[in-house]
Amino acid sequence: MTSLDWTAVIGFAALFAMLAVRVPIGVAMSLVGVGGFAAVAGWRPALNQLAISPIRTITDYNLSLIPMFVLMGVLATRSGMSKELFRAGQAWLGQLRGGLALASISACAGFAAISGSSVATAATMSKVALPEMRRFGYSDKLATGVIAGGGTLGILIPPSVVLAIYGYITEQDVGKLFVAGILPGLVAVLMYMACVYIVFWRELPQGMSIAAGERLASLKGIWAILLLFVAIIGGIYAGVVTPTEAAAAGAFLTAVIGIARRRLDFTSILNSLIEALSTSVAIYTILIGAMLFNYFLVITQTPQKIAAFLVDLDLGAYPTLWLILGLFFLMGCILDAMAMIILLVPIVYPVVMQLGFDPIWFGIIVVVTVELGLITPPIGMNVFVINSINRDVSLITIFRGVAPFVVADLIRLALFVAFPSIVMLLPNSM
Amino acid sequence: MDRLTDLLSRVTRGVEITAGLCLAVITVVIFASAIGRYLFAYPIPDSFDIARLLLGITVMWGFAALGFSGRHITVDILAEAVSSRLRRMIDLIGQAVLLGFSILLTWKMFTRLASAFASHEATFDLRLPVWPFLAMIWLGALASIVMAAIRLFLLATGREPALHDRKEMIHD
Amino acid sequence: AELRLAHWLPPQHTLQTTGFEPWIQSIGEASGGKVTMTIFPAQQLGSATDHYDMARDGIADITFVNPGYQPGRFPIIALGEVPFMVSNGKSGSKAFDSWYKAYAEKEMADIHVCMAFLQDPGTLHSREAIKVPADLKGKNVRPAQATVASYVALLGGASVQVPAPEAREVIARGAADAITFPWDSVYLFGIDSVTKHHLDMPLYTTTFVMAMNKATYEGMPADERKALDDHCTSEWAEKISAGWADKEQSGRDRALSEKDHTVYKPTAEEAQLWKNSAEPLMAKWKDQVKAAGADPEAVLKAFRDALSAENALAE
Ligand code: NA
Ligand code: NA
Repeated sequence: MTSLDWTAVIGFAALFAMLAVRVPIGVAMSLVGVGGFAAVAGWRPALNQLAISPIRTITDYNLSLIPMFVLMGVLATRSGMSKELFRAGQAWLGQLRGGLALASISACAGFAAISGSSVATAATMSKVALPEMRRFGYSDKLATGVIAGGGTLGILIPPSVVLAIYGYITEQDVGKLFVAGILPGLVAVLMYMACVYIVFWRELPQGMSIAAGERLASLKGIWAILLLFVAIIGGIYAGVVTPTEAAAAGAFLTAVIGIARRRLDFTSILNSLIEALSTSVAIYTILIGAMLFNYFLVITQTPQKIAAFLVDLDLGAYPTLWLILGLFFLMGCILDAMAMIILLVPIVYPVVMQLGFDPIWFGIIVVVTVELGLITPPIGMNVFVINSINRDVSLITIFRGVAPFVVADLIRLALFVAFPSIVMLLPNSM
Repeated sequence: MDRLTDLLSRVTRGVEITAGLCLAVITVVIFASAIGRYLFAYPIPDSFDIARLLLGITVMWGFAALGFSGRHITVDILAEAVSSRLRRMIDLIGQAVLLGFSILLTWKMFTRLASAFASHEATFDLRLPVWPFLAMIWLGALASIVMAAIRLFLLATGREPALHDRKEMIHD
Repeated sequence: AELRLAHWLPPQHTLQTTGFEPWIQSIGEASGGKVTMTIFPAQQLGSATDHYDMARDGIADITFVNPGYQPGRFPIIALGEVPFMVSNGKSGSKAFDSWYKAYAEKEMADIHVCMAFLQDPGTLHSREAIKVPADLKGKNVRPAQATVASYVALLGGASVQVPAPEAREVIARGAADAITFPWDSVYLFGIDSVTKHHLDMPLYTTTFVMAMNKATYEGMPADERKALDDHCTSEWAEKISAGWADKEQSGRDRALSEKDHTVYKPTAEEAQLWKNSAEPLMAKWKDQVKAAGADPEAVLKAFRDALSAENALAE
């Protein structure tokens, strides 16, 4: 190993040491990035990276869609849209055996269509759907598992903050990435529903009788969500708006609809703005760190060497791809989904391109893999969120409940690798 | 909560409200500009630069608020496995490093501000000078030092509970 | 010396393969292998906009700078962006470098300017025919740089400022009616299926500078510095840009040869209309240069003379 290699190794060690003592991820990456750059190029240039790069990151127009999509999701939550989605799901699927579990999954998917975040989807649904399922005799294990799993759809079904950042890092069209997430999201819904029937069949409660009028009435509640999704994603698909404009329109229209229906007032909008801001700034801090850390890695030529190493292994395209996805899966057990995308994608992306895979397709594959990290132990954000809202259900119970959905996700991943056209059909038609 | 923490919470809230309103302005500017362009072939001049520079101000002031509220994204795996005394130590170290970073960032951002002032950098359409925007960003950085320092002080004197868990945070 | 060269184009870009790489190799040979360079492409060391500051601060030793990314910061070199000045990118680059060398030290005082060159002139590519300036009224145009954006606004059009990855989508899906690009970029970005109409005029160019960190430059041993200096010449400005210019010109030939593409050559009168319509831009440029403390007429005359001498002045 050369001295550059050692610098990179020491850099990674320092990064993990700082992460262990709860230094904010973005701050740890920034400091290691600057220190490492200094070790290679001297202190003056390294400190000047700190002068130039963070300002560039926070004033980057291409990233402005992130706080706006986050805002849209927060506004949707506060206007009670998640409740209506669950009601609609209940009205249409409630008469089936295990109907509330199916309703929860479809409500998660519906909410994912207006929210860019998985954790937000899990949080809001565990407030709305979980009490209902428990009331009607669904086991804690099943009820929490369904929501932890269903919540992961938040970053696959557009809009998606994670896909937006993937597009930013790889300079791919965010609109295409969003559209590519639609079919895989629907496949996920069907597979989760199948999973409920196959794994939990014996314990599923019977369906309830639903009056015909209730079905139609439930649709009245969700017109706003349909309208928003069609306007935002349809607008991107048709090429009427850019993703950034779609984000602004989405946040703006969600607020307008909320006000018109008297679900939002000045105070709740203000609180939504603050919540969206604080979530976005947490993401920005990681982005700032990621840029600085990447400059350090690049100057030690680490990504280039890892790429060369993986290519030289000569395992063939698919084994190398699975090796990379395995790495994502392992890191996902402990790392934050966002941090993982930001840290790992710049390193492996050149290899994946060299192997001849499609950049849009790989974006979806990566998101499906990263989703898994949200529901695998020991750190699974969706599981933690559900636990923090329902203290009487233990983490172990939730992890056990979501385990079958992890298996379903792995099968889904294999499916998308085997049949890329599931992912590429819609974006290719744009 | 004693009076000092109470006061600080109010200040933080004020900062958050200002930054939050700024986010609303950005959203409206981008939305209005898109409408203007499609309907009248007249986008708001400089909406691109104004939106992104406002965004920078918003993020930096939000960063200051986050340094006080302790809602940054962290890896909690070790902190959650150890005793509460050790966890407090960990939180102190983490916050001290955040403070150090804020100081470093503020110092270096000033050189960027000075460079923009000297070089007459301007916006795309209206050629507004860029430096006043950067000055606002820099003030946010300065505020982040104060906020992080105060939180460190509260942590050290035991007036702030160990970094509250941010499991309810939604960030991905 | 082992130097870091940073740029923001993809590594397979023509400028890297036919420009930077032969240039670096020639420097290596001239210095007896003592000066080597590692290329960091694709914004690996910093954002495209920051490449000037990156050279100044030593983040890289040599960077490829587009001064137009920071409007107002470098007023003199912005003359290269004013429409209808330069007829071709190759000898135009030679003229541009020899002209700008006289001002570089003052305008870019905190770096060492190795050389300056130009992109091959670009023009308007549109969904519907654009023949005269009035045709731009009410049109949405994705501009190449700030000066073109001002020009579009001047003619009653709107500029669609979208990031590069979204640019091709915006035009392909019809959110924009026209785009300004050099010729081959139309094919490179795959928008030739949408923009079937091309205006056959050298409408604008984009300016570039190879910027060096001062301390790095001054700290080089005399023999190595000489090898480098011998590669920071107006001749090399032409050489480094030639491959890319040829590539862009091949796009024009291709558009001319393809039946479904219309390349419109304005009549003498129409050409005059275009030139007249750009006059306010020149006036604006003069104001800015005056504000920066230079004599715009003298600077302009020097540029025209340099272009004439290299047969690169647009008539
Ligand atoms: Na979503
Ligand atoms: Na995990």
